[in-house]
Amino acid sequence: MKKLSTATPLSDSIRSIPAPQRVRIALGRGHTPAVKRKQVVGKGQVLAETTSSGPFGVGFVHATIDGIVEDILPEAIIIGPIPSPGEGKEAPVPERPGRAEHKNLADEALVRWLREMGIDTSRFHPSRTVVVNGLNPEPGAFLSEQLLRDERATLDAGINLLERAVRPGNVHLVVARGSGYGLHGAHVVEADPQYPSTLDALVAVTATGSENPEATDVISVADLYRVGRVATTGLPLTEAVLTVEGHAVRVPTGTPIVEVLDALGVQVPAGATVALGGPMTGEAISSLDIGVPENCTAITIVPPGRYPQVGPNPCINCGECVLVCPARIQPGMLSRYAEFALFEETRPRHIAACVECGMCTYVCPANRPVLQYIRLAKHKLEEQDAFVATCRLQDE
Amino acid sequence: MVSQQSPSLHTVTAPPFWHCGRTVTGDMYRLLVALVPAALLGVYRFGYDALTVLAVAGLTAVITEALIQRLMEQSPSAHDFTALADGILLAFLLPATAPWWLVVVGSAVTIILGRMVFGGFGGSPVCAPAVGWCVLTVSWPAYMDLNGMLLRWDLVEPLSELKYFGVEAISGISLSSLVFGQNLGALGASQAGLVLAAGVALLCMGQIRWYIPVSYLAGVFGTALIYWLIDPQLYASPLFHLLAGTTMFTAFFLLPYPSASPVFRIPMILFGLMAGALTILIRVYGIYPDGAPFAVLLANLCTPLLDLIQPKPFGGR
Ligand code: SF4
Ligand code: SF4
Repeated sequence: MKKLSTATPLSDSIRSIPAPQRVRIALGRGHTPAVKRKQVVGKGQVLAETTSSGPFGVGFVHATIDGIVEDILPEAIIIGPIPSPGEGKEAPVPERPGRAEHKNLADEALVRWLREMGIDTSRFHPSRTVVVNGLNPEPGAFLSEQLLRDERATLDAGINLLERAVRPGNVHLVVARGSGYGLHGAHVVEADPQYPSTLDALVAVTATGSENPEATDVISVADLYRVGRVATTGLPLTEAVLTVEGHAVRVPTGTPIVEVLDALGVQVPAGATVALGGPMTGEAISSLDIGVPENCTAITIVPPGRYPQVGPNPCINCGECVLVCPARIQPGMLSRYAEFALFEETRPRHIAACVECGMCTYVCPANRPVLQYIRLAKHKLEEQDAFVATCRLQDE
Repeated sequence: MVSQQSPSLHTVTAPPFWHCGRTVTGDMYRLLVALVPAALLGVYRFGYDALTVLAVAGLTAVITEALIQRLMEQSPSAHDFTALADGILLAFLLPATAPWWLVVVGSAVTIILGRMVFGGFGGSPVCAPAVGWCVLTVSWPAYMDLNGMLLRWDLVEPLSELKYFGVEAISGISLSSLVFGQNLGALGASQAGLVLAAGVALLCMGQIRWYIPVSYLAGVFGTALIYWLIDPQLYASPLFHLLAGTTMFTAFFLLPYPSASPVFRIPMILFGLMAGALTILIRVYGIYPDGAPFAVLLANLCTPLLDLIQPKPFGGR
């Protein structure tokens, strides 16, 4: 099996591209819009608040450009250019929020402030070990190392703020061997940047030496960068930083993907797969018009025909998937059970241990959709469990 | 601004989007190519007959598979070369002068009993070419007797000599003659040196894993060594066993047969060691000179048991 290294040459710098005319800002399920249609909004203004009020959870959503709310959809808010006012009328002036101070905040109040500034705080918990995953998580997606190299000051500011907000017991930073990256006050652990060991669950093992680390949160460098960005600017989070085909770029959240690709001169061949995220765990998109989500760290483009087509071929029981599986289970066997709808059989065979790294599909010489079958089984089991739980409730 | 992107459909699939590029067809193609030098040397040594055996075995395997697949209403899969590979692997085990009907029967049995009864390639819990060989050996021992079938040549088959005439009879057989296949033996499997080279090539390409071949060779060597230490006058040296007969071929091409071998690391090593020990036991006590394919089948039967030795899953306590 070819080794899948995530070591990638970095881009010279993180570029910016011309601001888009129109952005499409994604809303989550926990968001309620705080603006109306046709309302003029300024960059940084709150577009949607969250329904839950605790300190830990998804962040507020902010306007990422000045403009007018063109549409409010269940899954996104679209902001477009302000139409020129009629004769004799004054053009409306969008109001941008000013710098917010956080110097006097600490603990939960500070976490809540982060949340209001657009940071997803659901990954943070008070007084736990924090592991910063400083490895590029997937081959070709190199934002983590780019930020460690170019944005050290912002990352340190992020650590400082986290220290006041959640008071972590220890902070570990896992970096590629010999890379020399560091962070303020973090204990540096070196590791081989070999996929899938670069995924959060396995990085936690590298940092703590345990597969069931107690009270440990793994965050990515990008997570930390967002905190640092809010901490240094005092402004809400309105941008995403991501890598695309060797470029590193900073864009307003919600910029249509097509504009990012155009600005970078990246061509998508007809029939290609375009995915948000890396090539192993990303999410394929059907249209280039969707906006860059705030937590997007990479766009992956896979031209058609580059790899053998994955299809419902029979498993030849070669065991390649077993040899690469970091969860030490039998992906081939599990995929066969799922293929024949014997979902219950997968439970005692430790399907729950799967970390969804995709190595099984990657190596399968029979070109089976191994992980896809496993995901199906996981999903069916969840459904079943939910069903059983509802029945129990009704019985009581 | 006008976009440079062509308006086009995108392929939306579930991750991962990358693949290492291996396919069954590619694997079988490489396996067949790797075996070409050994086959050529076999043809060079044993003449045109060897070519006929290879061709008949390969062709019969492909045709048998196609016929049975039609009966079973499966889609044809001759294009993936797995049937061809099974046929050629069987041919490597046969005497080069085997009559055509024997080859046809052996190749058909390989496909039918070795895989189609289990649903096809990948479903079979036994190594198909070993099944073919065993059925032929048990049914038509005279036609499978390498010494008897190859009388035309003024040479001997090392393992038969050892079996029937003892260690002294093989004292004249040099190890290098075994490496270069200068004795009588199975068509291709007796070209120990080239078979080893083919195996190592596939190993380097990552197509076969070291666990099974290495542990098998270690099992053969270790067990033979024990006997040899007990009485070198009675038992052949471990190096002789490594190079004679079908040992090398078994190590790299029969034993790691994908569906019939264990998948976890420790079970693979135990499997190899066990098959290695069985090979020597059969050679020492059995009625056939070379028992390697028998050892393969016996080890295959233990595969499900061996695979019960599993590591703890991730995060398991
Ligand atoms: S790699 Fe593919 S063919 Fe091999 S055992 Fe796993 S699922 Fe089956
Ligand atoms: S995705 Fe496949 S290889 Fe990765 S942990 Fe799950 S089963 Fe194992």
